[in-house]
Amino acid sequence: MAPWLAGVIPFGLAIGVSAAQADIPTLAGWLTGPLIYGGSAQAATIGMLDAGATPLVIVAAALIINIRFIFYSATMARHWQGTPWWWRLLAAYLLVDPSLAVGLDGYRRLAGDRAHAHYLGGAVLLWVSWLAAIGIGATAGAGLPAWLHLEFVMPLYLAGQAVTKLASPASRRAAVAAAAVALLTLSAPLQLGIALAIAAGIAAGFSAEVRK
Amino acid sequence: MNAWIVIVAAGLGSYLLRLSMIMLIGRLTMPPWLERASGLVGPAAFAALAAAGVAAACGDLGVTQAAAPLAAVAAAVIAVSRTGSPQAAILVGLPVLWATTALLPS
Repeated sequence: MAPWLAGVIPFGLAIGVSAAQADIPTLAGWLTGPLIYGGSAQAATIGMLDAGATPLVIVAAALIINIRFIFYSATMARHWQGTPWWWRLLAAYLLVDPSLAVGLDGYRRLAGDRAHAHYLGGAVLLWVSWLAAIGIGATAGAGLPAWLHLEFVMPLYLAGQAVTKLASPASRRAAVAAAAVALLTLSAPLQLGIALAIAAGIAAGFSAEVRK
Repeated sequence: MNAWIVIVAAGLGSYLLRLSMIMLIGRLTMPPWLERASGLVGPAAFAALAAAGVAAACGDLGVTQAAAPLAAVAAAVIAVSRTGSPQAAILVGLPVLWATTALLPS
């Protein structure tokens, strides 16, 4: 869990800072943590709210980004068969990229209740750290001077994340197409650009994979 | 008021996505093409959000001052691809932004 925490805490801080700088109540920005609970969807939601996008478009963009949770859900369903319904409701709420990885590691090495405890322990630790990081970022981000340009922390963080995800030709194509469409659609009505750009990026990367 | 509704709706939808397969079907294998497509969401979303964020930062500035965010994000991209650490983006990009903002005529 430790390497995951080192990776997600700066992201949480950056989201907190962007929530404080955005033109929305800071508490609403922080609430993206416990409610949406997925960094890139939270960043998109806060950014698009700040830009004044139409509610329906923002929700659609957040759900496109979080559509991967369906795959995580299918992955964990196998391991959580036979558990009580309340446990599945709670475990599903905590399901996100790092907790999936920690959980799968546990189900590979451990059996039964110990593997469930391994998942829940890691997932709760992640949840607490994530919400704390956003809270600290939001508190600190509100009081810092303008010349620090903290509004630029989030674009920088996202650019860095994008660069680390370019291992395959398909992902490079997806990133380039998404960035290009995002720039071309900057003045698109209803701030549709981000949602369009993500869809175009997935399509571009996917067409590269199919041809291969 | 809108912000609260949007965040609650996106949160509720995200929870239903997480819960979907756990509650619907116990055992299900994803078609491989769907799984591959889902691996592209990350690079596409991060790149789109970063590009829009940089463009928004440039748009608020004059022509010469707009070079500062561009220099910062270029330095950040180089730093991350050299070190392999995403944290390098902020550690290198922000100081470059401060320096270029201070040096460029407004």
